[in-house]
Amino acid sequence: MNFKSDQSEIQDYLNDAANFKGKCERVYLPESVDDIVKIVKSANSNRKKITVCGARTGLTGGAVPQEGLVLSTEKLNKIIKISSEEKFAVVQPGVFLSELNEKLSELNLYYPPDPTEQNCFIGGTIATNASGAKTFKYGPTRNFVQELSIILPDGEMLNLKRGEVNAKNYILSLKTESNNVIEIGLPKITMPKTKHSAGYYITENMDAIDLFIGMEGTLGIITEIKLALIKKPAKIISMVIFFKTESEALQFVKIVRDLSKKYPGATDKINARGIEFFDKNSFKFVKGSPGLIPKNTGAAIWIEQETTTKSQDAILEEWITLMETNNINVDESWIALSEKERKEFEYFRHSVPSQVNEYISRNNFRKVGTDTAVPDNKLEEYYNYCKQTAENSGIDYVIYGHIGNSHIHLNFILKSQQEYEPAKQLYKQMCIKAVELGGTVSAEHGIGKMKREYLVDMFGEEIVKEMAAIKKTLDPKLILNIGNIFDPGIFN
Amino acid sequence: MKIVVCVSHVPDTATKVKIGDNGKTIDPKDVTYVVNPYDEFAIEEALKTRDAVGGEVVVISLGTDANKESIRKALAMGADSGILLKSDSYRDSLSVAKALAAEIKNQEAQLVFFGKQSVDYDAGIVGQLTAELLGFNSVSVVVDFKLEGEKITAEREIEGGREVIETSIPCVITAQKGLNEPRYASLKGIMAAKKKTIEDKEAAAAENYTEILTMSKPPAKSPGKILGEDASAVPELVKLLREEAKVI
Ligand SMILES: Cc1cc2nc3c(=O)[nH]c(=O)nc-3n(C[C@H](O)[C@H](O)[C@H](O)COP(=O)(O)OP(=O)(O)OC[C@H]3O[C@@H](n4cnc5c(N)ncnc54)[C@H](O)[C@@H]3O)c2cc1C
Ligand SMILES: Cc1cc2nc3c(=O)[nH]c(=O)nc-3n(C[C@H](O)[C@H](O)[C@H](O)COP(=O)(O)OP(=O)(O)OC[C@H]3O[C@@H](n4cnc5c(N)ncnc54)[C@H](O)[C@@H]3O)c2cc1C
Repeated sequence: MNFKSDQSEIQDYLNDAANFKGKCERVYLPESVDDIVKIVKSANSNRKKITVCGARTGLTGGAVPQEGLVLSTEKLNKIIKISSEEKFAVVQPGVFLSELNEKLSELNLYYPPDPTEQNCFIGGTIATNASGAKTFKYGPTRNFVQELSIILPDGEMLNLKRGEVNAKNYILSLKTESNNVIEIGLPKITMPKTKHSAGYYITENMDAIDLFIGMEGTLGIITEIKLALIKKPAKIISMVIFFKTESEALQFVKIVRDLSKKYPGATDKINARGIEFFDKNSFKFVKGSPGLIPKNTGAAIWIEQETTTKSQDAILEEWITLMETNNINVDESWIALSEKERKEFEYFRHSVPSQVNEYISRNNFRKVGTDTAVPDNKLEEYYNYCKQTAENSGIDYVIYGHIGNSHIHLNFILKSQQEYEPAKQLYKQMCIKAVELGGTVSAEHGIGKMKREYLVDMFGEEIVKEMAAIKKTLDPKLILNIGNIFDPGIFN
Repeated sequence: MKIVVCVSHVPDTATKVKIGDNGKTIDPKDVTYVVNPYDEFAIEEALKTRDAVGGEVVVISLGTDANKESIRKALAMGADSGILLKSDSYRDSLSVAKALAAEIKNQEAQLVFFGKQSVDYDAGIVGQLTAELLGFNSVSVVVDFKLEGEKITAEREIEGGREVIETSIPCVITAQKGLNEPRYASLKGIMAAKKKTIEDKEAAAAENYTEILTMSKPPAKSPGKILGEDASAVPELVKLLREEAKVI
């Protein structure tokens, strides 16, 4: 089987988009399920640790090894089936999200989950329960996962189909392909009512498949995925709207959010599918038309709405009226009705995190960026808290994110390594504040190796230990993705 | 002053183009069309010039009804009116230029903006031909443009530097990337464009001097070969580079 062990060849596998660094002995590039089973079984008998990796666009060190072996899913890259009639796709984990989207578009189909970074693998998005702008309308990746095939840490195969296995009274009973039954006791937790990707997904009568979505590779290796699809929307209106101040922008977000929630399926009424935010500082990082941003802009939002050829004009009129009644300068807004220009807006949005990450890597810093979300009615309070905290510190920062879901990324832009520790302290305060307000410490990137202490801040040590016990049940020899979600010390 | 912008309606470079059954044209099915990217710079410069000196901007496109989408886009960006020169049979660059020149003359325009090149057939010549037919001055591949009274100062990119040219209206300018940053249409602009008129006219007839014989796609790249993963593959590699690829 293919592997690389020459250190010069494996450098790429020792890093992710957050510039979290690691080390390993070998990188395996399995081409089949059998290959993976072999690697996993042999690692079990030799007590070697395995770290699974996708496209390594993750932002929490999740795919970065600390020792042992890396198992890269890049060669498991086949789209196995797309059904236009029944609207589903079956894929291997190493298929690029961008590639799947391209294929679907040709077939007039659509897969809504859209992490801002499209050069990630489907497997990575399942393992982190990724979400994006369109999560506002469609929910996170989880909502679209129908079936998973998983190789458990001991090499057993588990096939899960949504709707087939549910927990009873916080107890899950899983049956592997070779008919082994595994009982898992679930901690009784309350999950926040926001977007959420911190620790395991747990509810009293949960579907077994949901435990494996967002598990960050700690419970198994995902080898095949069946995704639900929808029909491609006929028309999309995409707009970038500029505001003098952030509070005006947040005010407008609230209005648009409330209207959109009123008519969730509508294509002939105001109904955003995504609402994204940029503060003034983000404009320093933006690529693609920065020169066109109106002067004196304090904040901007990017909104998309799905509509039909028939309703498009009426909808545009509604948006104009809504903007005018809210004193927005309609002449300064940008609008895209063609796919080409819509993609330019997407690029504009993507350029902010991508340039921020690039700045961090270039200077060899580590990313200090929040991934917190709070309930909608707490957004303004939380936004102001974070902004004020950052302002007072004197450390540079930018704020952008999926504001429709009250989910913001405040990233510190360090000027020197000395600012790292103080920034990390402030970051922790922001996590704690989000939890106080009923939110989450991670809405989409997951915990990985960089955010473990905040999971404890959120749920407390006892619950996190109970979560770790789930892992221990499935991975008794502690070989798979050790260091993700849980501090390894927790297993002692 | 009356300013004309000539806009060609071209396949989006992101679409996969197939050759049609006749082997002489592309198959338009499933192809999305956009404003020729260089023409966006032309539109922007026309609008900026109008806003500075007053007057109106007329957009002209030669082709079929489908071209109206691109005319509409220019109107949404802020152009004042549009003209579709209807023509549904094949025309070569000179024939296109003759029809455009006839309409520009009819409009009594003094300043005409083109893109430097249409990304479909890439001739890069319609602007200059039109200038010649009209007896206008012309500066091509322009990256900086100034109009003071009748005087024009234009900069063009040349190998290793820039050339500054002074001339006067009437003039044709062909736009190069870098001339400006084309604006996005605003929400208001989109709605206003719906109320602006696009006039349909028959394109002036003109003979073709060239003919497309065949059209073909570049040969597909042959797949790579993996000979091995370590030093043991080197002799075979050297042999193939020498005998098959003939590069060493
Ligand atoms: C500029 C930028 C913007 C981003 N924006 C967003 C955003 O809007 N929303 C969002 O959710 N994320 C975002 N991300 C983060 C990232 O793109 C997503 O988390 C993505 O889902 C990771 O996919 P990947 O293939 O790169 O996974 P990797 O980084 O390779 O891995 C991520 C985790 O999944 C595990 N994993 C990967 N494959 C498997 C498998 N087959 N089986 C088991 N475990 C596996 C890894 O071990 C690791 O823990 C962004 C990243 C960047 C760089
Ligand atoms: C095989 C073939 C088939 C064609 N079929 C048709 C057809 O069915 N119907 C038809 O009407 N034309 C047809 N044309 C002409 C076509 O619409 C364009 O005019 C032509 O492609 C321009 O390409 P070019 O390389 O000559 O332009 P270039 O010289 O590269 O263009 C330079 C600039 O001239 C201007 N310009 C070019 N073309 C036009 C235009 N049409 N309208 C307004 N401004 C323009 C733009 O500003 C452009 O940036 C055909 C051309 C070819 C080669």
